[in-house]
Amino acid sequence: MTAAALYQSALASLPEIVVIAGACILLILGQFVRKGQEHFLVWASVAVVLIAALATFILAGEVRSAYTGMFIADRFAVFFKVVFYFATVLTFLLSRKYADVEGIDSSEYYVLLLFALSGMMIMASATDLLSIYVGLELMVLCTYVLTGLLRQERRSNEAALKYVILGAVSTGIFLYGVSLVYGLTGTTQLDGMAAAVTGDPLDPGLLLAVVFIVAGLVFKVGAVPFHMWVPDVYEGAPTTITAFMSVGPKAAGFAVILRVFLNPLVAASDVWIIVAVIAVATMALGSFVALVQDNFKRLLAYSSIAHAGFATFGVVAGGVDGIASVMLYLLIYSFMNLGIFGTVIMMRNGDFSGEVIDEYAGFSRSHPGLALLMLLYLFSLAGIPPTAGFFAKFYVLVALVEQGFVALAVIAVLLSAVAAYFYIRIVMVIYMREPERAFNPALTPMVRATLAFTAAGTIGIGLFPAWFLKLAQQSVFGG
Amino acid sequence: MGFPLLSLIVFTPAAGAAVLMVLRSDNAVRWTALGVTVLDLALCIAMLVGFDTSTHEMQFTETRPWVPALGIAYALGIDGISALFVFLTALLGWICVLASWVAIERKVKEFMISLLVMQALMLGVFCALDLFLFYVFWEAMLIPMYLIIGVWGGEGRVYAAFKFFLYTLAGSLLFLIGVIVLYFHGGETFDILALTAQDLPFRVQAWLFFAFLIAFAVKVPMVPVHTWLPDAHVQAPTAGSIILAGVLLKMGAYGFLRFSLPMLPEASVHYSTLMLALSALAIVYGGLLALAQDDLKKLVAYSSISHMGFVTLGIFALNLRGLEGGILQMFNHGVTTGALFLFVGLIYERTHTRSMANYGGLMKAAPVYTTFLALFTLSSMALPGTNSFVGELLVLSGGFAASMAVGTAAILGALLGAAYLLGMYRKVALGPASVGVRYKIRDVNAREMAAILPLAVFVLWVGLYPKPFLGIIDASVKHLLAQVHAKESGQ
Repeated sequence: MTAAALYQSALASLPEIVVIAGACILLILGQFVRKGQEHFLVWASVAVVLIAALATFILAGEVRSAYTGMFIADRFAVFFKVVFYFATVLTFLLSRKYADVEGIDSSEYYVLLLFALSGMMIMASATDLLSIYVGLELMVLCTYVLTGLLRQERRSNEAALKYVILGAVSTGIFLYGVSLVYGLTGTTQLDGMAAAVTGDPLDPGLLLAVVFIVAGLVFKVGAVPFHMWVPDVYEGAPTTITAFMSVGPKAAGFAVILRVFLNPLVAASDVWIIVAVIAVATMALGSFVALVQDNFKRLLAYSSIAHAGFATFGVVAGGVDGIASVMLYLLIYSFMNLGIFGTVIMMRNGDFSGEVIDEYAGFSRSHPGLALLMLLYLFSLAGIPPTAGFFAKFYVLVALVEQGFVALAVIAVLLSAVAAYFYIRIVMVIYMREPERAFNPALTPMVRATLAFTAAGTIGIGLFPAWFLKLAQQSVFGG
Repeated sequence: MGFPLLSLIVFTPAAGAAVLMVLRSDNAVRWTALGVTVLDLALCIAMLVGFDTSTHEMQFTETRPWVPALGIAYALGIDGISALFVFLTALLGWICVLASWVAIERKVKEFMISLLVMQALMLGVFCALDLFLFYVFWEAMLIPMYLIIGVWGGEGRVYAAFKFFLYTLAGSLLFLIGVIVLYFHGGETFDILALTAQDLPFRVQAWLFFAFLIAFAVKVPMVPVHTWLPDAHVQAPTAGSIILAGVLLKMGAYGFLRFSLPMLPEASVHYSTLMLALSALAIVYGGLLALAQDDLKKLVAYSSISHMGFVTLGIFALNLRGLEGGILQMFNHGVTTGALFLFVGLIYERTHTRSMANYGGLMKAAPVYTTFLALFTLSSMALPGTNSFVGELLVLSGGFAASMAVGTAAILGALLGAAYLLGMYRKVALGPASVGVRYKIRDVNAREMAAILPLAVFVLWVGLYPKPFLGIIDASVKHLLAQVHAKESGQ
């Protein structure tokens, strides 16, 4: 690699380099931060992300390929990176008070989040199965540790252990698929793969490889039948990390899925049938099992499974609208899900866990404003207009019908009617029950800012979706 | 594009709701809500004054691009059919505020906000000329209505609210799929007028007809998807019941008129027999159920099912008299049944019982109340001289022209109506004064009178001189009918 090529590569991956360098510096600086000055870490981390965001925007003008075709900085990657920045910054803002309440005082918390962010960014830009793997592992290794950060809590430890074991197995499966692809085509580059295959695309060996890769990837987004880890991990992890995982890594998983599944080679092997089955099963399981949950975090875990299912319908549809619909879905989902998680995190104060749904009874009586926000997020998650959640679903349905998958669209809406039940049940608890206790939400200015921002997104994208839609459509790769 | 009158009408209540948010005293909230709704009614009257009844074209139209990439626009406009319902909605709006004046004791502010948001959305439904916009208004109504029933309702309110929400949601989601399919078949636009001009293959029309039917039938409601209605009505507060009966039920029928008939004419003609049969079933079955009720509110709720059967019967008779009668009957039902729910609410506030067995001899205690109750009861059973007589007569003559059997069933339903309504009046107003209600009954006061009188005026006005009302809808109905039959004969 010549110096010029190296410079170009470094330029293309500047945001990633910024985040990783920032994380390393914070790792060292973190050792000198004294007790009571943790807010320095929050602001330093936010600053790192903002610098990376700045670099991303400056470089967004042109498409840059880097590292001999393993990495690309295109508009598709930029779109996802913006979602990641936004999810990470809001997680930082939510974390400060929560970390105090839960007694998380290590600076590694912030450093690991930054490393996870860099992993996600690499995933969004990766165009080679191996660089995908590197990004993926960087991300999940950090989330394993973050999940187990509540060292005194049994649930947290158990969740981390489960996550590590299952995650490692799925990574193994993914790698096995990659090795099969390499054996059959002689390359791991997504573009090169399709060109290398001549003859029947339905070669059984290749099909096997595709199935393995699919299995490895859908594990990361928590789709059925690889969803078993989601409820336990979501429940056991610190709530801020749950919020982060439900948005960031999930979006990163979809970025990779879109690049891999819609690759001409994989698309030619009729993988959409598998994906369609996965989408239906995921949404059905998420929606039905969420109906009987009493724990807020578990419910949101199943809800996130259901939403992953809905987004997968967009992958099935494919095409410009299909890809754009998944991207828009993930963006909108980040707003509303971080919003609802923000309220749950805020409720964790003193001896109030904020995890049992029934404990929210009568919340609207004492805190009408916050209750209204929860109502907004919940109806958005249920997909009721005029919230953004409705437009997200609507656009996926448009993409499905456009490709002629009307039956799938009908299944999708019927299942989302089921899902609506458990969201409005929470609204019922908040609004229609008598309060049994006093509430004392930890409404710090940072939490306030997070809620205001997510609420603005949830209602704003719902009312004025045009600009965001255009953004998603223009960011579709290859389009 | 001139003055955006329709936007003003639609968003005045919403702006009012925003104002309410910053108010503190309950009384200020009540008066502001009343002011906003009266202002909205005044705007509607101004709209009607400027309305040109000689044309079927959309009037007061406004169009702004909303999501150009998907062909979605913010488009409002009204023809004769929607004008009538915009007016009805605005009329009932301030009556709802008056009906909730003392009946709602807790969370007055939140209630009035829900009510005003609800009104804005309902007006939006009737004004929307873009299918996507229509759907947004249509579906967003679920949120305030869910809260109105669930927070301020009776004992079984939570169950009723859930049932209402899920029924309507499931119905309208299939409608959404239908809308998207229509979008791709109709040249990738959500413009209602452009979609109406499309000529779709029959197969597509048939599928869409049933997708739409599910959504609209739940809202009307038609038998057998009516079971949410009694629960919702009984548990909802008075204002909720008035909105439900007065406006919400009309939306299903309005959907048939605005979408099914003009967009899917061949399917509408083809399946009209099925629709007529379902309507006849609703008329008779709803009447029989009403006959068996002891709870006043349930009785009125089941009578609604029966009366809405007349409406759908008129619509799917697919002739001029049937359609005009059906639409007029929609308006009449809004006024009359709205009034009946108001009356049930008034008496319930005083006695806290709705069981007819506890009543009797009310005439002595509250003569004014019982006099007006008599008027609305007679209106509900379509006595000549009242509004429903005109509507039902038109529907029946249209129905007989379409099918002898269905017409006969409708006559039977009308007889049942007389039976249960007169029975109700006898049990409540006549006979010896019952122990439970002899004391504590006070007659209607000025505030209640203000809510009752306008409705009484419309009962008699439409009954004695229906021409202005038929005049508003006439051109639009003729055009609609021409659309249905032109495409049919073009086959």
